[in-house]
Amino acid sequence: MNEPIRIFIADDNRLLREGLASMLAQQEDMIVIGAAASGSEAMEQIKTLHPEVALIDIGMPDKDGIEVTQALHQDSPDVKVIILGMIDLTDEIMACIEAGATGYVLKEGSFDYLVETIRSVHRGESFCSPEVTASLFSRIAELAGARMPKIAKSSIKLTGRELEVVTLIAEGLSNKEIAQRLFIETQTVKNHVHNLLDKLQLHTRLEAVQYARARNLLKKKQ
Amino acid sequence: MQTIKVILASRPKILSDVIRNLIDCQPDMQVVGEVLDPIELLIAVMATPVDAVIVTPLASTGDPKICHHLLAERPRLKIIALSEEGDAAFLYESKSRKKRIDEPSGQLILSAIRESINRNQKGKKP
Repeated sequence: MNEPIRIFIADDNRLLREGLASMLAQQEDMIVIGAAASGSEAMEQIKTLHPEVALIDIGMPDKDGIEVTQALHQDSPDVKVIILGMIDLTDEIMACIEAGATGYVLKEGSFDYLVETIRSVHRGESFCSPEVTASLFSRIAELAGARMPKIAKSSIKLTGRELEVVTLIAEGLSNKEIAQRLFIETQTVKNHVHNLLDKLQLHTRLEAVQYARARNLLKKKQ
Repeated sequence: MQTIKVILASRPKILSDVIRNLIDCQPDMQVVGEVLDPIELLIAVMATPVDAVIVTPLASTGDPKICHHLLAERPRLKIIALSEEGDAAFLYESKSRKKRIDEPSGQLILSAIRESINRNQKGKKP
């Protein structure tokens, strides 16, 4: 048989900490090598005990689960962290993943589910409760939605006149002054400004100038 | 040896699993029911011959009303109420008697239930 999975538990709830340790010890493929009641104690012990999987409570009094995960990710990157969370808060879950957690399990899940998560994480998989996965997907969809316009912008082409207009805006000219410079009506300049903001999905003239400057689109003075 | 019958009204689920496992390992104790809310608990206590109830989590300050309702129905019932933070547990033995257990471990909770039931049984003897 393979070596048992070496597990560390950090939770300030003594009943839960000791109870989990006792139940995990009943699993043939697992061994609990240590436990701590606070974040700082957990960090110290993990450095010396080198567990393979650490179960970290999200809400410990001195250092919370996210801080501990961040520190472990830097100091003991081989330790796979599973966060034990209380509620399905997307921002919190995202923060845990950013901090380096490999799994996120709600305490509302069963013990059997936790055992499966430990095994999966130990095999090198990332793991979350189904409720957590749903939250993550909705957040990914939000982020993807926010990125879409930026992606599309790269394929947007401004007309020569629009580039002239944005260049003159960058020089600090008003619509009236641009109209005089280009020998066109002020209303036409307004139309060009409106069109280019619409094309780029931007809201202000300043944003349009920043966009054009960032892409070297501003025409050089003749 | 008489078996101590226990109902669990514990959240979150993982803590409930831990307490159930703890009791399942005791030769003199048995989980006879598991409920999720106070109303269910009240109904279960009235319908089941039960010696003890473990409820979690409850605010650590103030008396949870459910304990008084339960004791009104079953004056000899032993109730362990775990605080939300997990740093304390309270043993309710009667409407006026409450004992605090700091940093409760499984063994401390089990001992508190056993001792309280034993006290009752000694009190019964002539």
